[in-house]
Amino acid sequence: MFKKVLIANRGEIAVRIIRTLREMGISPVVAYSQADINSLPLRLADKTVCIGPASASQSYLNTDAIIAAAEITGADAIHPGYGFLSENADFAQACSDSGITFIGPSAETILKLGDKAGARRMAVQAGIPVTPGTDVCVTPENYELEAAKTGFPLMIKATAGGGGKGIRVVRDMASLKNELQIASAEAMSAFGNSDVYFEKYLENPRHIEMQFVRDSKGNTVTFPERDCSIQRRHQKLIEETPSSAVSEQLRNRLSRAAMKLADTAGYVGAGTVEFLLDREGGFWFMEVNTRLQVEHPVTEAVTGTDLVREQILAAAGEPLSIPAGSLAPHGHAIEFRINAEDPEEDFRPGAGIIQNLFLPGGPGVRTDTHLYTGYSLPVFYDSLIAKLIVHAADRGQAVNRAARALRELEITGIKTTVPFHMSIIQDSDFRSGHTHTGFAEAFIAGIKKNKKQDLTNN
Amino acid sequence: MDVTTLTALSKWMEDTDLDEVTWRHGKDSISLKTGNIQSESCVPVSRLQPVLSPSVGIFRSSVPGHTSNLQEGSKTDKGAELGWIETGKNRESVQSPCAGILKIIAIKDGQAAEYGQPLFFVETE
Repeated sequence: MFKKVLIANRGEIAVRIIRTLREMGISPVVAYSQADINSLPLRLADKTVCIGPASASQSYLNTDAIIAAAEITGADAIHPGYGFLSENADFAQACSDSGITFIGPSAETILKLGDKAGARRMAVQAGIPVTPGTDVCVTPENYELEAAKTGFPLMIKATAGGGGKGIRVVRDMASLKNELQIASAEAMSAFGNSDVYFEKYLENPRHIEMQFVRDSKGNTVTFPERDCSIQRRHQKLIEETPSSAVSEQLRNRLSRAAMKLADTAGYVGAGTVEFLLDREGGFWFMEVNTRLQVEHPVTEAVTGTDLVREQILAAAGEPLSIPAGSLAPHGHAIEFRINAEDPEEDFRPGAGIIQNLFLPGGPGVRTDTHLYTGYSLPVFYDSLIAKLIVHAADRGQAVNRAARALRELEITGIKTTVPFHMSIIQDSDFRSGHTHTGFAEAFIAGIKKNKKQDLTNN
Repeated sequence: MDVTTLTALSKWMEDTDLDEVTWRHGKDSISLKTGNIQSESCVPVSRLQPVLSPSVGIFRSSVPGHTSNLQEGSKTDKGAELGWIETGKNRESVQSPCAGILKIIAIKDGQAAEYGQPLFFVETE
C-alpha cells in the first residue's frame, strides 16, 4: 500500500481525500497554487508544496509541476480528485512514466473512454443502447445527411467536451449550418479541438448514472443508480440515490450494462456510466466519467462504503473491500451542491470572506466543505464551496431532513445557492419525485416570472 | 501659559521618550505632541531583495560535475543567472532581479524548491 499520496486538487475534494488517506494510515501531501495558501486542505495535510501561481493552467493543470511536487516530497501516488487533470490521459501517462501511481484508470482506458465517439462505439460493443447519432465527426460535407439520419431535435456535442460544455440543441435543418459553425468554434476555443458530432436530443429525460468500481483482478462492484436530473445549464445542482423513476428490474438492467462496459474496457478503478432515461423507461448511453464524481457521497451514504478507499485499493493493485456484485440501496440520500453563486442574480459567481459558518449536524447529515470562518474565497476556481448530503429511510424523510439541515446551515459573507435549494424542495413536483433535466431551469424561470408579476402589481 | 514655560516643557519632552503630554493649570490646559509619533507607522526598510523560485523542482547551481562559484558577499548584476530549477525535463533560469551584493544563499545544489520560495537575497546598491 502507498505510504504517501499527493493530492493534485483543491477545495472540498482535497479535504475529502485527506480524510480517507488518514484513515488508511497514508500520509497526505497537498499540491497548491499561491491563491490557496490559506486553504483548509493545507492545514490538514502532512506536507504542502506550492506548485505555481493562481492561474490553473500554471498550477493545477501543470503536469510537470505536479509530478515534480510528487517527486520532491517522495509521494508514491497522485490522487487527481475531479476536474483539472483527473481525466487527462497524458497526465496519467506522465505519472506512470515517472514511476508514480495515478489513482484512476490507465492512460489507455482514459483515452478510449474519454473520447466521446470512442466511448459510444465501446458501449455498442457492450450491447448498451446509445442515443441515435453520428459515429463519425460531422463535416461541412456530411452534416445534412448525418442530421437527417439522427433526426431533430438534435444536439451538437464537442468530441473533446465534458461537464455540459460545448453542447447546442438544434430543432430544424434551417438553423443547423449556423449552429454548427458556432459549436465548432466554441469547441476549438474551449477544448483545442473543433471536432463535433450529432446526438438525438431527448425531451425532458432523466439523468441517471451508474457508479462502479473494478479491481485489477477483474472484480466489479456496481452501486445503485444516481439521479442527477436537477441541473442548470448542464451543471448538476442536486443528486440523489436511488431514483424515483427506476424500478428494481430497471436497476438490474442498468447495473448489468455498467458491469459489461467496465469489463469490456478492462477498467481498473472507480468510474461512472451516464445514461439518459426516457419517459418510457428506455435508457441510452451518454458517456463514461473516468474519475471520482462530485456526487459520490450519496452512493456512500446508501451503501455504507468509502469510494475513495476503493479507488486507492484498486490503484494499489489490491482487492476491493466489497465483494463483487451489485449493491442494493439502504434508504435514500440527496446531495445539495452549495455554490458561491447568487441565485437572485442569475447564479452569478462571487467571492469574499466567510464571516460566519455553522454546519448542520444531527442524524443522517454530512457536509463536505473546505470553508472555515474567516476564509477568503478566491475567485479563480469553481464556485462549489460545500456539499450537503442527507440520508434517511425513504425519499420523503430525506427531503424533510434536507429542509431541516438547510435551515440550520449558515454561511454569511458571501451569496450562496442555499435559498435556491430551500425553495426547490418545497415544490410539489420535486417532492413527488417528478423531475427531469429541464426541471430546475423551468423552476427558476417560474420564480422570475412571479417576481416580475409582483413588481407590476405593486 | 507663557512662552518660557512652553519652551521649557517642549525641551524637556525632547529629553524623554514621551510622545504626548497634557499640562493643566487652573483653567489653562495644553497638549503637546512630538513629531516622533509618526515613526510608529514607519515600515522598516530593507535593501534585501529576495530571488524567488520560478517553479517547483530541484535547484541546480551549476552543470553536473562543476562547482558553483556563487559566494555570499560577491557582486551580481541584474539578470545574472544564479542557477536554475529543474521541473521534469524543463529548466527554468533563476535570475537576479537587480544589481547588488549576493547577501544570502538560501538553497543548495540538488535541494528541492517550491514555486515562489526565496532562494537568494540580494542587497541592492
